[in-house]
Amino acid sequence: MKYEVVIGLETHVELSTKSKIFCACGGHSEANEPNDCVCPACCGMPGMLPVTNRHAVELAVQAGIMLNCKINQYATFDKKSYYYPDLPCAYQITQWFHPICTEGYVDVPTKSGTSRIGIKQIHMEEDAGKLVHDDWADVTYVDFNRTSVPLIEIVSKPDFRSAEEVLNYLDKLKSMLRFGGISECEEGAMRCDVNISIRPEGTEELGVRSEIKNMSSLASIERAIKYEVARHTDALERHTETLVQETRRWDDMKNRTFAMRNKETAADYRYFPDPNLMPVVVDDAWLAEIKNSMHATIEEKTAEFTGMGLSAQDIASLVSERKLCDIFDAVVASGRKPTDTAAWILTDCAGILRRGGKVIGELDIAPEALSYIIGMVDEGKINRGVGKKVLSAVIEKGVSPEQYIKEQALDAKVDESLILETVRNVLTENTKAVADYLGGKEKALQSLFGGCMKVLRGKGDPAVIRELLVKEIEKLR
Amino acid sequence: MDYFVTEIDRAGTVAVDDTILVKGYETKAGSHILDGFVPLFSSDAVERLLKAGCTLRGKTHTGEFGLDLVGETSYHGVCKKADGTLSSAAAEAVAAGEVKQALCVDVNGAPRRGAALSGVDFLKPTYGTVSRYGIIPTACSGEQVGVCASDAEGVKEILSVIAGHDGKDGTSLPAEKYEYSADKDIAGMKIALVKELYDASEDAVKAAMDAYSAKLRKAGAAVEEISLPDVKAYATAWQIMLSAETCNNISRYDGVKFGYRTPTYKDIDELYVNSRTEGMGFTAKMNVLYGSDVLSKNRYMSCYDKSLRIRRLASEKMKEVFAGFDAVLCPAMSGASVAEYDLAETFEKTAKELLFTTVPNLTGIPAMVTCGVQLWAAAFGESTLLSIAGAMERSAN
Amino acid sequence: MTVENLKALESLNEFRLTDAEEQKAMDVFAFMENEAAELQSIDTENTDVMVHCMPMTNVFREDVREQAFTRDELLQGAPEHSEDSWIVPRLVK
Repeated sequence: MKYEVVIGLETHVELSTKSKIFCACGGHSEANEPNDCVCPACCGMPGMLPVTNRHAVELAVQAGIMLNCKINQYATFDKKSYYYPDLPCAYQITQWFHPICTEGYVDVPTKSGTSRIGIKQIHMEEDAGKLVHDDWADVTYVDFNRTSVPLIEIVSKPDFRSAEEVLNYLDKLKSMLRFGGISECEEGAMRCDVNISIRPEGTEELGVRSEIKNMSSLASIERAIKYEVARHTDALERHTETLVQETRRWDDMKNRTFAMRNKETAADYRYFPDPNLMPVVVDDAWLAEIKNSMHATIEEKTAEFTGMGLSAQDIASLVSERKLCDIFDAVVASGRKPTDTAAWILTDCAGILRRGGKVIGELDIAPEALSYIIGMVDEGKINRGVGKKVLSAVIEKGVSPEQYIKEQALDAKVDESLILETVRNVLTENTKAVADYLGGKEKALQSLFGGCMKVLRGKGDPAVIRELLVKEIEKLR
Repeated sequence: MDYFVTEIDRAGTVAVDDTILVKGYETKAGSHILDGFVPLFSSDAVERLLKAGCTLRGKTHTGEFGLDLVGETSYHGVCKKADGTLSSAAAEAVAAGEVKQALCVDVNGAPRRGAALSGVDFLKPTYGTVSRYGIIPTACSGEQVGVCASDAEGVKEILSVIAGHDGKDGTSLPAEKYEYSADKDIAGMKIALVKELYDASEDAVKAAMDAYSAKLRKAGAAVEEISLPDVKAYATAWQIMLSAETCNNISRYDGVKFGYRTPTYKDIDELYVNSRTEGMGFTAKMNVLYGSDVLSKNRYMSCYDKSLRIRRLASEKMKEVFAGFDAVLCPAMSGASVAEYDLAETFEKTAKELLFTTVPNLTGIPAMVTCGVQLWAAAFGESTLLSIAGAMERSAN
Repeated sequence: MTVENLKALESLNEFRLTDAEEQKAMDVFAFMENEAAELQSIDTENTDVMVHCMPMTNVFREDVREQAFTRDELLQGAPEHSEDSWIVPRLVK
């Protein structure tokens, strides 16, 4: 019999706020050491009260808008109780009764076209801490840096029919949320619970479901789905086991899933509304304000760049990172030509980064600095080669371009008489090249030009040098 | 009798109970499980007291997480009056003149019962007027810091200091400051006497109620009987919420982060179970069990959700009452004294006494105990309570 | 309430009662179940839940970072800790 796989995803994404969702501690990504970003509230001490971070709500609403959701005008925070050492209060604040967003969808590209994946809801919640197990000391270390970092949980409908759809969906979510400034989606900051079942093709009734908890790598998700499909198929076809609805975990080393022990999964979470947190009401005025403050989407930005005459390839490169678009936009806004700016970013900056073993996404340059360099070149105050040298120094050493040019005297005006003298010297010293040129080998001029540039050490307007070179060499005919 | 579990300054004039955090002083909320817990910050109420120049005398005994009649389940022991009956340490300290005022957290009426038993005043203000930042939480939806003093003027003095908006408490109401008065004219006031609560009290209490009513009438106020037919249901609803919220709030005490840890464990389960088994008393555990039950999937709708709806009915009912009356008069508890008893009975005994004290916790309205009786007013009606209490106290002198 | 359910509740809440306490707890449950049963006669069909007795909406703090406490202070009262973390018995064997 042929089976159809049915998958639903619960995707947890950390929001890009400066502080945690219910207290003023910084987010864990900035922490260097365990328990660097903690306060009495995030280590479960009594007395502090949760107060909701407004920006976290705004980011959750933005995510909802991006995923075509209904933004609910009444949302609540509720408590979910269970014991685990990474949960300092033994409860997690989440949205159980009234989530912030419901009923959306996202279109996911597939080999055969596009699949529309329904979004059941997006709710906000606080993250748990981190546990580090030490085999030698036979202890577990508890780190609360991540405790109370704001998350959204994006709950899809069971609309996936293949691992490919799942992976493309996660890719799309990641690029959308990153580009929208909702989440950095760094390694480990996007985690999935995968609900999976199979059913005979053509039937409607859902099969027995396994939930694979807490997956963060795309490769593991793909392998876990394959493993579960095979396990379910074997169970149905060859009666290798009786399927039960259960929670499982993926073991990357053993390359298989395991049922989690009962105590971890059978808990009654005893949800109830949090008396300390008032409901969130996103009225029309606030919703409009949130919409206005949103970044353009990848699609919108692509359209905008197309209108500026950029090539499709350049556009694709720019929209791969929100940061590149921001730099590009700021440089263009300062008066530089869009096509030039794109070339400086995608050719020159990218080249310099590549040399240092980095990728263009890691570009970290003040738009003013880049704009200044481009301006100096455009105005002929330095030539393009020197511009590139300045750019390297700015990117690699973090210097100010203005100061660097001054210190290195790169913009020193080269006297035309010095150029003329250099040209004459070069012509005298390279009799063979001169003869070649005069004999009709036009290419010989290039090596003479290079010789002049070398002597002048990059200074001087190349156009002027070339002009004088041609004039002088013609005199020798 | 030693009123204080922690001494702060012998010259101090204000006491705070052991559920209110004072930076640097061990705070246990009467529980063994908080052994060695020294808070890193003070409650907002304490900060305001210190800023106003008040000095703290010490921290008074409180029952474990404030879940008993008057503090008898404190890990530090029972507080007895001279005649051997029970009262609260804070009320006794005020009655004995050890301190001028005491701050107490009112979650189930315990400080009101203490005031009634010791013959002093206690006012639980409108929910949200005093910040709950820095108090050890039990039932957040109805607990509030109140003031115990020997008279209405003494209550007013401290209440004016501690009330006001605090951004660190998300349920704190927006008013920055509250002006209270204890000398509004009470002649012409209409006061409602709750029939069901009067009927449920013992004869000694009825006599005190009768005497108070007579004095009120003499002062020109009208006292009329009203009925709150569902008042017992309100009490049950609050017991359900109180246990559920407490269960959730005290689940954090597990021997991992601070406080008491059992000496005997070999894995995390034993660490949790032994620490909590050894660290908490029966009444706290009973609240956890009952609270856990009413929040469970099978019981949530019939118990917890039902109680949240009854809270709205109670709130609407009280609005209706206060549309016609300035204040409500009722007993603070069923009897005029509490004898020592087997602490296995605490949960039931306290649940029964909630009948008299629930409405202010459940609906947020202010309540005051004075001369052994209890008064309620509409939200923000503290001045009415203080003025009635003040007038009666002055007429007694 | 059955003894079995009571034991499940104890386990869910990470403590144990003694046999005598369990007996007492059964009485308390019987008492409270009676009280709760009386609630059912109250008509709440057209009444919404009321979580907050003094209702407000949209109470927020701004997204500002503040580090008011040090790790050492927070770890000070821990029953067991290393220089940077709380310690519990190893969870994954």
